[in-house]
Amino acid sequence: MYKVAVVGDKDSILGFKALGVDVFPVFDKDEARRIVDTIARENYGIIFITEQMASLIPDTIERYNNEIIPAVILIPSNQGTLNIGMDRINSNVEKAVGTNIL
Amino acid sequence: MKVGRIIKVSGPLVVAEGMDEANIYDVVKVSDNKLIGEIIEIRGDRASIQVYEETTGIGPGEPVYTTGEPLSVELGPGLVAAMFDGIQRPLESIRGLAGDFLTRGIEMPALDREKKWHFVPQVEVGQVVQPGDIIGTVQETAVVLHKIMVPVGVSGTVKSVNEGEFTVEETVCVVEGDKTHNIQMMQKWPVRKGRTYAQKLNPDEPLITGQRVIDTFFPVTKGGTSAVPGPFGSGKTVVQHQLAKWADAEIIVYVGCGERGNEMTDVLMEFPEIKDPKTGESLMTRTILIANTSNMPVAAREASIYTGITIAEYFRDMGYSVAIMADSTSRWAEALREMSGRLEEMPGDEGYPAYLASRAAEFYERAGKVKCLGTDGRVGALTVIGAVSPPGGDISEPVSQATLRIVKVFWGLDASLAYRRHFPAINWLNSYSLYQNKVDEWMDKNIDLEFSSNRVKAMVLLQEESSLQEIVRLVGRDSLSEGDQLKLEVAKSIREDFLQQNAFHEEDTYTSLNKQNLMLKMVLSFYDEGIRALDSGVYLNKILNLSIRDRVARAKYLHEDNLSEIEVIMKDLVKNIDDLISEGGILNA
Repeated sequence: MYKVAVVGDKDSILGFKALGVDVFPVFDKDEARRIVDTIARENYGIIFITEQMASLIPDTIERYNNEIIPAVILIPSNQGTLNIGMDRINSNVEKAVGTNIL
Repeated sequence: MKVGRIIKVSGPLVVAEGMDEANIYDVVKVSDNKLIGEIIEIRGDRASIQVYEETTGIGPGEPVYTTGEPLSVELGPGLVAAMFDGIQRPLESIRGLAGDFLTRGIEMPALDREKKWHFVPQVEVGQVVQPGDIIGTVQETAVVLHKIMVPVGVSGTVKSVNEGEFTVEETVCVVEGDKTHNIQMMQKWPVRKGRTYAQKLNPDEPLITGQRVIDTFFPVTKGGTSAVPGPFGSGKTVVQHQLAKWADAEIIVYVGCGERGNEMTDVLMEFPEIKDPKTGESLMTRTILIANTSNMPVAAREASIYTGITIAEYFRDMGYSVAIMADSTSRWAEALREMSGRLEEMPGDEGYPAYLASRAAEFYERAGKVKCLGTDGRVGALTVIGAVSPPGGDISEPVSQATLRIVKVFWGLDASLAYRRHFPAINWLNSYSLYQNKVDEWMDKNIDLEFSSNRVKAMVLLQEESSLQEIVRLVGRDSLSEGDQLKLEVAKSIREDFLQQNAFHEEDTYTSLNKQNLMLKMVLSFYDEGIRALDSGVYLNKILNLSIRDRVARAKYLHEDNLSEIEVIMKDLVKNIDDLISEGGILNA
């Protein structure tokens, strides 16, 4: 069984703990990078990461683009959305079906 | 002997009648100009003669004189460092006689009859000798000790032998056998017949050429055969020149057969100035040149190959390792085709005669590592390296195919590599060497235990590169995983830092086996270290941006005395990767 992780600033992600998801609070980009790379090697199938954090570590996000596992999914944080998560989904859908159906 | 009469002239082919006393392959003198020719076909009393000189002005009715001897070469001191034409006329002496171009009917003994050589006997009076035994030596050049052997067919007890200064025609030794034989320093041998040897051995030692792609990936053995086919401008001649310069053979015979005269000039200008890394003497002191350039008569081109290999065999019989380069055998095959057409023979593929394959085989089969005649059981080797110029670079044509069927090493030159300035343009994907197993054993024993496994590793990377390149062409480089991208980078490094070699760079032109081994290790260690770093989470572009890669790329310009520098680079590489891992990797992942 794969596990699910959430990475981001503490305030945004703490609520996920109630759902039984593993929570990894991080403070800066170096820590974020290290955490994502580490848990990607462990048994995590999905890694949610806040858009704010993701925008700091584009190299790391890019790295898992072509891997099947883990799926790195961007989510808005408690400060609202930056829209990059939705853009990624749109572009992935476009790649998969050839047109933007959303 | 009876004198024949010309009845037909067709270019280099002359038909004469009244030749019933002559035999096939006898040498004849055509017309009063005494043009040298060779009988290549006899029907009744009509002989077809290929004339080795220009036949302009010859007509029916003119006489043909038979010599009764087959086309032979003179073997003895005076061969080394000389330049001959296709039928062993000494070009240097002829220039003194006739000027820059050959005049017709000029006759000149191949070996200087006036020059005295210092003969040192090796046998004593009363000793029993057999064919091939060394009766004495002559220091021919600074590096070549010419061994005078008992000719084939002579055996008995030495009656007298003298030390001193002799010309090649003076008797140096008398052998009393079934009759009395006076042995001179010079002997003759018919070119179309392979010289005899005691036993053929399996070639197992590599011919070290100092060319990385050849020595490491596609080695040829001493006594092996190889072919270098390639389209125009892909560097066949440069490859041949490089081999002639750096191969660790004791004697080099370079046959320029139907190629540009300038290329022979290059050899003549460059070789005397280059020092042999092994002996420190000029390369010319071990080289014999046979020149039949494209503007010289066609028929002599056919003979030049045989002249060259007979001379090479003679030195092999002394127990030397000899290499002969023939550039290019395609021109030789074209000469065969021209004669065949004029003889009105039934043509085979592309007009080449049906016997093309057997002639080519005959030539290449004269290569080999042999136990020479003589009681001392010395071993000599003759390596044959033939260039082939397939029109359009398409090796499915008859000459290439006939050659590839016989030779065991194939260095396929590639026009697209040459276009990318990748020299030597030997294509690593379709070239091969069937001596690989033998040479691997030798390398592992003499150079490094890991040599062959490293070679295989590098070759696997190069092959994976070509399949990854296909994916890259379809969907782009970014879609590859980091591991695959690293593979591409390392393969590129193998290509650029190892395979490419600048023939005109002082240090790069020759690479010793030890340096080759270290260089290959260094390039591969970048792959191993890169994988290690990737595994511990380091980002690919961090690895690729390491400044140490410049030092890896420049390692080929290091001087041979400076090889420890390569080991330093390898150590620094490991350290750099360790630094990367400790700063950027996830520890103990």
